[in-house]
Amino acid sequence: MGSLRRGLDALYTAGGVVAAFFTITILAIIVLQMLARWTGSTFPGAADYAGYCMAGASFFAFAYALNHGAHIRVSLLLSKMGRWRYWGELWCFAVGTAASTFLARYAIKVTVESHRFKDVSQGQDATPLWIPQSIMAIGAVLLAICFWDHLIRLIFTGNHGIREDLVDQSHAE
Amino acid sequence: ETWDMPLAYAASNFHSENAAEFATCVKDKTGGAMEIVTHPSGSLFAGNDIKRAIQTGQAPIGERLISAHQNENPIFGIDSIPFLATSFGAHEQLWEVAGPKVAEILAQQNLVYLYSVPWPPQGLYFKKPVESVADMKGIKFRSYSTATARMAELTGMLPVQVEAAELSQALATGVAESFISSGATGYDRKVWEHLTHFYEVDAWLPRNIVFANKDAWDGLSVETQSAMRDCAATAKANGLQRSKDYTQFTLDGLKAGGMTVGPAGANLVAELKAIGETMTAEWLESAGDEGRAVVDAYKAKN
Amino acid sequence: MEQLIPIALFLFVLFLLLGSGVWVGLALLGVAYVGMELFTSRPTGDAMITVIWRSASSWTLTALPLFIWMGEILYRTRLSEDMFRGLSPWMARLPGGLVHTNIVGCTVFAAVSGSSAATLTTVGKMSIPELRKRQYPERMVIGTLAGAATLGLMIPPSLTLIVYGVTINESITKLFFAGILPGLVLALMFMTYVAIYSRVSSSWNPSPEPRMSFWEKVQNSRFLIPVMLLIIVVIGSMYLGFATATEAAAFGVIGALVLAAGQGSLNWGTFTESLMGAVRTSAMIALILAGAAFLSLSMGFTGLPRGLADLIASFELTRFELLMVLLVFYIILGCFLDGISSVVLTMAVVEPMIREAGIDLIWFGIFIVVVVEMAQITPPIGFNLFVLQGMTEHQMGFIARAAIPMFLIMVLMVFVLIAFPDLATWLPENIRSRPS
Ligand code: NA
Ligand code: NA
Repeated sequence: MGSLRRGLDALYTAGGVVAAFFTITILAIIVLQMLARWTGSTFPGAADYAGYCMAGASFFAFAYALNHGAHIRVSLLLSKMGRWRYWGELWCFAVGTAASTFLARYAIKVTVESHRFKDVSQGQDATPLWIPQSIMAIGAVLLAICFWDHLIRLIFTGNHGIREDLVDQSHAE
Repeated sequence: ETWDMPLAYAASNFHSENAAEFATCVKDKTGGAMEIVTHPSGSLFAGNDIKRAIQTGQAPIGERLISAHQNENPIFGIDSIPFLATSFGAHEQLWEVAGPKVAEILAQQNLVYLYSVPWPPQGLYFKKPVESVADMKGIKFRSYSTATARMAELTGMLPVQVEAAELSQALATGVAESFISSGATGYDRKVWEHLTHFYEVDAWLPRNIVFANKDAWDGLSVETQSAMRDCAATAKANGLQRSKDYTQFTLDGLKAGGMTVGPAGANLVAELKAIGETMTAEWLESAGDEGRAVVDAYKAKN
Repeated sequence: MEQLIPIALFLFVLFLLLGSGVWVGLALLGVAYVGMELFTSRPTGDAMITVIWRSASSWTLTALPLFIWMGEILYRTRLSEDMFRGLSPWMARLPGGLVHTNIVGCTVFAAVSGSSAATLTTVGKMSIPELRKRQYPERMVIGTLAGAATLGLMIPPSLTLIVYGVTINESITKLFFAGILPGLVLALMFMTYVAIYSRVSSSWNPSPEPRMSFWEKVQNSRFLIPVMLLIIVVIGSMYLGFATATEAAAFGVIGALVLAAGQGSLNWGTFTESLMGAVRTSAMIALILAGAAFLSLSMGFTGLPRGLADLIASFELTRFELLMVLLVFYIILGCFLDGISSVVLTMAVVEPMIREAGIDLIWFGIFIVVVVEMAQITPPIGFNLFVLQGMTEHQMGFIARAAIPMFLIMVLMVFVLIAFPDLATWLPENIRSRPS
């Protein structure tokens, strides 16, 4: 069990690291685009590539942010529930698991359909859309795994294992 | 039955007004059995998403700038080949040939073609008088597509990539000094604050197409379908007239804003036509036999 | 009133999900799902993913993680302390003391950032710990920050103004210029409030700042040089036409890295911490944006926002009455929708009303921005409340209450705008004559 736990946590962190690479890539694309403009050349599709990286930077980090307690929620009622808090948390994780699974299901579906329709980007990049969309799909699946993980943990151990890291949040690290 | 109709452009845009009129017509003709609710300004789906959304039934009917999809199939870009059909009349002739072909491809994609309306013709905006291609050399020209970048290359201008949302800022700060678009774009964005000349070169007339989801269409009664076809025919004719009127209105607006507006000189027109030939040939290479057949049929008519 | 049922339903599900502690982005997704399932026969999941993909892969959004990252770098270096050392001597003697650094800081950063959340994150990261250290009343620290950060939407560049300008076909340059003076006036109003409150309040006992001679203050200002340089590079690049907002954000990140390296506070640890921190914060905001995008679509299908706007149009009001009705309407809408969505969803109906009433559309853009700014700090859906909740240990209720005075000042700002429309229209009307 310990190794599964460590493996899953490492998986979410790996998602965060990939998201970080996407963020750096956004920076790189924008700098290259500027350089291209100043030197009288062009970087066709730069805006589109930056957009895909934006999706990657967000989706790959969703699970990582959840695991670190960085996602925001209105916990006023929860914190006042006392011994009923377990049921409150169970409700939240059940809704979260359902929503993220729904999101993942359709993120996969849209990617598969884009592949089948041979849908291509309308920008100068003319990228087959399933490629960037699979970034979204993988990220959404990661988030769903993370929610299932914590829901199951909550059911069997009574604790979902996410510490709302307030210092972390206040530093928004 | 109620159909939601996503539109990409503002409610006051003539395409959106025309679509709203189409919706009213359908409601009247079907005695209220079919109601179409327009959602302008991309408030339902953004322009980029409308075609796919209709294809997959996320909305039953919608309108889209068809050339935006030319990466998917070069035929969708036939309305935007530079200097191929350079007037409303010529463009309607091109569409008589190309329209059925486009409708055929749309049908394969689960879409039913209803009607199509051209945008005002595309002209060139500059900061100085331009009499020949040589005068364009070195000017920073806003490009937003492969074709516009290629045009900059062929005219010796420097392509700068500027997204639509940033056009005004780019002109204000001198990042771009020239661009190609309709008089409407310049009028809407008040480009006389930054530029001085507009040449009506009528490079091309991009088209919006209104199409419906095939499954949703097949679910309609024959009467409703025929009512919608009738209204589509009306909308096509009215839309064309609106486009012509709007072209004149915006050109007058550019003049009132202080710009020099007029047709390009004979010399420039001839040079641009030659560039058009090159670009048509290049387009044909990518469009294959299907494209060649359409262009040949169009040229045979003239 | 066929609209009553969807209104009641949306409100019920929204309050249920948000109130019970479901993560905000997923709660919005849930409300939107219920709306789609009940009011349309369209495939909910497919429509959802279409709009989520569009909003998540939008390149205009790329400025957000970059500006957040810039803030993270500045936070982790000595630069934030330096800025405080530079600003505080000048602010310390003002009535209200260092709380003014919140407002001045937001005003300055607003000129670099197009979004309120990014301004809030950047300035808040610098100022919250410093103000806490000095025992300023937490309520004022949080409240002024929540309020002043909304200047990010008014002082150019502004994402809201770009969306508005594109929607109504108005010159974005003009709209940008229109936002400058009202933005500065609003900042002054915030500062006036802080000054008055500090004099009236009995609980206002911050740790005293050491007294300084004028020369010492000037000397201390050298600490401002790195930050001012950075701001000049970022703003200057934009106004001189070297860079767009996103590109300016890239300048910001690189500039922040260079300055951090220059003062020796950049190492592998601070670099990765700042980057991973930015990744988490922007993921948090992106999830909310994804939920909001789906909610907008769902509301669009129900026709609810346009139905409400139509209802208002049917009353035939005077210009002032119309503005008052719109004020109330947008405040209510702003409780539940993000600003850009409310603008996009309603403008189709509101624009003809405004033109009909003879109201200047540039001026109305600034009116809309003030109202959208209010929406940032009104619960249950208020972006600055969410971001601040993420940055502090406070409950949403506390933050919202702390922001109420700022909300009222913004309401006052609406009346100032109505009384002195030139505030918004003078600059844009006078840029026409500048040499091109
Ligand atoms: Na701003
Ligand atoms: Na709000």
